[in-house]
Amino acid sequence: MIPLRITAATPAVAPFVARLNAEGRAFELERTSGRTPFDLDLEIVGEGRSVYRSSSAELELRGIDAGEVDGDVVFIDPSRGIAHRLVRARSAHNTFLITERCDQLCVMCSQPPKRGHVDMFPYFEAAALLAPANMVLGISGGEPTLFKDQLLPFLDRVLTHRRDLSFHILTNAQHFEPTDLPSLARLPHDRVTWGVPLYSSDLVIHDSIVGKDGAFQKLTGGLAILAKSGATLELRTVLMSRNAADLPDLARFVTSQVPFSSSWAIMQLENIGFGRLNWNELFFDHSVQFEPVANAIDLARSRGLNVWLYNFPRCTVPEGYRHLAPATISDWKRRYPAACEECSVRDGCSGLFEWHTDDRGFQRFGTL
Amino acid sequence: MNVWPLRFRKSGTEYLFSDDAGGFFRADQAFLERYVADGLLLSDYDFLRHGGHTFAEVGDLAHTAFAYRWSQRQAVRPELAYLILVPTLRCNLSCGYCQVSRAAEHAKGYDWTEETTEAVLRYLDQLGTSDIKIEFQGGEPLLRIDLLERVRSFCRERFASSKFVVCTNLQEMSPREWAFLEAGDTFVSTSLDGDMATHSRQRTHSAQATSKFLSNLDEAIERLGPHKVSALPTIDIDNPPDFEALINAYRSRGMRSLYLRPVNHQGFARRGRSVDADIERWNALHHAFVEHLIDLNYRIGAGLEEYYFSQCLRRALRSGADEHVDLRNPNFFASDYLVVDHDGKFYPTDEARMLSRIGRIDLSIGDVFSGLQTEKTDTLNAASLNNYDPDCVHCTFQPFCGSDLIDDISRYGRSDRAKTKTWFCRRHTSIFDHVFELMYRDDPATKHSLAQWSGVVSWGRHMAPELA
Ligand code: SF4
Ligand code: SF4
Repeated sequence: MIPLRITAATPAVAPFVARLNAEGRAFELERTSGRTPFDLDLEIVGEGRSVYRSSSAELELRGIDAGEVDGDVVFIDPSRGIAHRLVRARSAHNTFLITERCDQLCVMCSQPPKRGHVDMFPYFEAAALLAPANMVLGISGGEPTLFKDQLLPFLDRVLTHRRDLSFHILTNAQHFEPTDLPSLARLPHDRVTWGVPLYSSDLVIHDSIVGKDGAFQKLTGGLAILAKSGATLELRTVLMSRNAADLPDLARFVTSQVPFSSSWAIMQLENIGFGRLNWNELFFDHSVQFEPVANAIDLARSRGLNVWLYNFPRCTVPEGYRHLAPATISDWKRRYPAACEECSVRDGCSGLFEWHTDDRGFQRFGTL
Repeated sequence: MNVWPLRFRKSGTEYLFSDDAGGFFRADQAFLERYVADGLLLSDYDFLRHGGHTFAEVGDLAHTAFAYRWSQRQAVRPELAYLILVPTLRCNLSCGYCQVSRAAEHAKGYDWTEETTEAVLRYLDQLGTSDIKIEFQGGEPLLRIDLLERVRSFCRERFASSKFVVCTNLQEMSPREWAFLEAGDTFVSTSLDGDMATHSRQRTHSAQATSKFLSNLDEAIERLGPHKVSALPTIDIDNPPDFEALINAYRSRGMRSLYLRPVNHQGFARRGRSVDADIERWNALHHAFVEHLIDLNYRIGAGLEEYYFSQCLRRALRSGADEHVDLRNPNFFASDYLVVDHDGKFYPTDEARMLSRIGRIDLSIGDVFSGLQTEKTDTLNAASLNNYDPDCVHCTFQPFCGSDLIDDISRYGRSDRAKTKTWFCRRHTSIFDHVFELMYRDDPATKHSLAQWSGVVSWGRHMAPELA
């Protein structure tokens, strides 16, 4: 597993954001006059520690290889002695957790919400502006749009200053109002994708899954607003025993009511958070019962909708549908069990979630 | 709850319904009666709501989605990026049905002059696109390979990307022609009418010439690669080829997509013919051919399609399948493509060029020297959409169908003939009836082909909604 937090020490008292530069990068920054007040250069390496310095700050990291974090943007919390890797320069899976609050309580939530909220927007903004070129940054939570009055201007500013960056934002779409239309519409639609979960076309099932009465109704309103703003939309449906049978119906609903979504992701359950707690009730083993998934895919694709299978190990998917299952599990939480060693499709495959124990797996699984 | 207006049509023992945005379903007579008598049941509303045929209030998700789907059904007007160039009308063959669009091999005055050639290049130079496609037509364009070379060199210099298609009979090939066709940006389109006898009868008039053509075709596939060579069969309804022989001519060359085109009994060739009788025979032939493919695909996994049928199927299922110029709505003229004749005149389509040539009507819309005549294209464009046609507005197939004004003028000398009496309409009514009949047919062979033609892994009955 790739570490997201590093043990850190600094003389500073207040939290700050820093970009870490080994020699090559530091030199490059000089050469291109790209240095910012956030840049710290590597000065000392040895005995499991690396020391970074600028004219005004100093930072010591422990237990990490300096090459590994080169170009990373970290958030340093001096009181707790931790550097959070907000942007890992060599990863395609960087996500800002805007808040831990949420107004839904999904039965399979991988990061169950908490009450408290710490406003990190200024740090995220600095981190985004320091990110490597052409990066796609994830925005998640909790529910980020609980803070839409900060979120929307944040996106606008970052995307205006950094024309190479894109955002992928996960939202339950419960909080958009018609008054948000101008701020949504002015975002560059080719660089902002809204990932919105929809679990069933049956509002009772949907509401029960997200643990909120009236959620389906609110969601349809939110989707209509996103549509009118011209937003790029990715629908997401976690496959569970509660909604599996309804999947072909949901496909029909999506093609007729949400035709403006540019893709639809059907996702396998993550064995963590509530997903782990409720696993036995929720897990739907598509490796032995693929039919509802197949029917949904065929219907949606015949109507011109792009459908993808997220977090589906390739060997668990019938051959005709395998090309729809790209590697989607983020690098820092992905694992390939022993069977994958010899597998010919490993490079394009999701593998399993790190926390996916062997007894909670797919009945049909194995080397291709 | 509001139900969007539905159009309906008998389909077998049931009825097919569709709305303006291209949503469709099948239901029985009892539903139809409830619908017209304003007595829909709650379960009817449920079904309709689920399929996107209703909305509660303006601006809600269902309403927005319908508006979106409707707008996606309208073809957008693209920028001009496709030119069909006719550098010469002369040809070294005289195919039975081609008198009007060719001149004898050694005739004078049927080629671009130096002045015309320069004007064509100037015209290309001022186009807005950075991505050009050129189709060389004729006559036999390779008779003026010097002009082809000039145009191609010019385009390669001028545009960021360019692609060339040579519509050739592949009859006379020397090293210079082969060298031209071998370039990576250059593609071949030819005619292959079926077996040897049919091809000789319709085109070459001699077995020897046909053999020569076939060996050139095989050499082209070999030298240029199968993806660079395409062929079309032209079908004479008076004397159609044997299906097996036709299919074999294509399959044996690795070509799996056949596009049957009827001989256009244009001008002189059509005198005294009954259009009605012709279209009925054509529809029957096309229907039988598609059924033949379904059988063959299922029995031997042939993986064949009739191109136009697949295109219609895809249009019935989804928006955005606007590639085929007969199947677009609105079908703007001189928007994304334009024909430049041997004398430098512009025509909106190749058929318009032929019509004008036989003196039936002047459909030229300007020339390379003075540019496009926009008043004329505006007049044509005003009649190029089916949305408000008095017949099409009642037609269940309107969202999927296109319009072909030039064909109407060509066959009937006017553009305002009742649509349902036109060749175009009768042809498309027949195809779409067939498309929807297949979608609801419960038979493994049909499902096998439908899956392939619509681009999905497996076709099940749930793909075509039906009110139980
Ligand atoms: S064996 Fe491993 S790498 Fe191969 S398809 Fe299954 S999960 Fe993927
Ligand atoms: S042309 Fe005929 S088939 Fe096409 S929409 Fe009009 S009436 Fe219908």
